[in-house]
Amino acid sequence: MKRRRDLFVGFLLILPALIVLGALYVYPLILSVYTSFTVQGRYGLTNYVKAFDIYWRDIIYSVAISFATTVATLIVSVVVSGYLRFKSWKFLELMYKLPLFIPFLIVGHAMRVFLAPHGTLNNLLTRILRIEELPGLSRSWIGLVWAFVWIMTPYATLIVLGAFRSLDSAYIEAAQNVGASKWKIVIDILIPMCRPSIMVAFILTFVRTISSLTIPIMVGPASPNMITVNMMFRVNYFNDWGTANALGVVSYLIVMVFAIYYLRFMAAERGGIKA
Amino acid sequence: MRRFSILKLTLKVVLVFIILLLVVGPFVGIAIWSFARIWYWPNPIPQEFTLRYWAEVFRQGRVLDSLLLSLKIALLTVGFSITIAIPAAYAFARYRLPAERILLFLFLMPQAFPQLPIFINLARVFGRMGLRGNMWGIVMAHTMASLVFSLWIITATFKSIPLDLEQAAQNLGASRWRVFWTITFPLGIPGVIAGAIHVFLWSMGEFNAAFFIGAPFIQTAPVLMYTASAGYNMQIASVIAIVLMIPSLLFMLVIERFLKAEYIAGIGG
Repeated sequence: MKRRRDLFVGFLLILPALIVLGALYVYPLILSVYTSFTVQGRYGLTNYVKAFDIYWRDIIYSVAISFATTVATLIVSVVVSGYLRFKSWKFLELMYKLPLFIPFLIVGHAMRVFLAPHGTLNNLLTRILRIEELPGLSRSWIGLVWAFVWIMTPYATLIVLGAFRSLDSAYIEAAQNVGASKWKIVIDILIPMCRPSIMVAFILTFVRTISSLTIPIMVGPASPNMITVNMMFRVNYFNDWGTANALGVVSYLIVMVFAIYYLRFMAAERGGIKA
Repeated sequence: MRRFSILKLTLKVVLVFIILLLVVGPFVGIAIWSFARIWYWPNPIPQEFTLRYWAEVFRQGRVLDSLLLSLKIALLTVGFSITIAIPAAYAFARYRLPAERILLFLFLMPQAFPQLPIFINLARVFGRMGLRGNMWGIVMAHTMASLVFSLWIITATFKSIPLDLEQAAQNLGASRWRVFWTITFPLGIPGVIAGAIHVFLWSMGEFNAAFFIGAPFIQTAPVLMYTASAGYNMQIASVIAIVLMIPSLLFMLVIERFLKAEYIAGIGG
């Protein structure tokens, strides 16, 4: 009896939060899927046909950009984490965390100024290298990936370094005793043993990249676009909610494929340890 | 031996320079722009400087208006988010709820799943209800999406408070309500503050919901920054960007030593 009363009280306490989530998140989520299948009150796949027809290149482009970002981010964060695992360097410790809480939109604007053809970076490089002109990186895929890596690295490094640091030093000392170099230890011991955390960093970076609107509208090229930018255009310029939502559902599906792969991976990992 | 250490020192200086260029460089560009009056290529610095654009932050006008609006929305969002999160966090920490992990994960969804389609559709729903172009529409959207920060942080804080303290008070005859207000809540205040700061920073810099729900009548600071930057009004955009960046950097420096990967690793798992 007391257990049931407790359950009831507990449920009442989380009810306001659940109502907020249900009305303001779950309802629009369902609405977005529903809208993607309707054209003027009739059900069908017209929106998807249209979305793939116009934007198939952009869908591939978005996945490719997100993938490139994720791989580059992981490489940077493993290098930084590997260094900081062995040596303490306050400067690097502060620098990698600095972008952590800066809003994406502001990073987008700052990167746009930084990477522009006559921006801060080229201004400096042309003077150091004594060349006349350098191409600008903003409004190109390199600039886009650059900005994404800049904003994603702090989170990824926080996760990877946390995992590296929580690993028992005995493993590392054992390897050092038989003469393994530091980078060999990182590659052969730290990375394999911290694979679950690295996977978390991978998924998190990928999802945050592919769902970002602000970075691609600020630094991305005019064409091809990330699908988030296309969604915005569809709504703002064409008032075309059907196609926008079809693109939205496509982005859900891409993220879900990764999430399922991740959950499976985690399940296999856990099962493996138990066996 | 000595030459080797000189080489090492030079390498380190070069490395520091490269890291500074990569990490701090982007801020230098916008900092210079915010003071520029005329700046043509190929001058390394602007031909003429001005404080005019910084004055806009303190003078009546659209820049100050947008900043005040963002501040108002962020403070209201913090208020709602914390008020809703505290009872829920207490329930998650102290009552054995069924499917606790799944429920907690559900609140992460707005941050860990594509957010843009949600806000686009929410803007449409709000449009029918007359909440589009309205501050309260943005506050509601922000409260929903930032609930995970306050809820997760406060839940973790409440869970870390030893149960013995509460039981001792209960044994002396205090009601559960009283125990909460005299023991659990005061001990949980650091978590509540951390959650509030997180929500505040997120709301101040949020663009997607503010853009689609606020359009076309109201402009928060990030939306005005976007409009200015897209219209090549670099000075206004840079001034707003720097003003919005200051709280994030301050917070970063303050909590730097308390920052733990576990919190954020938890977000992924």
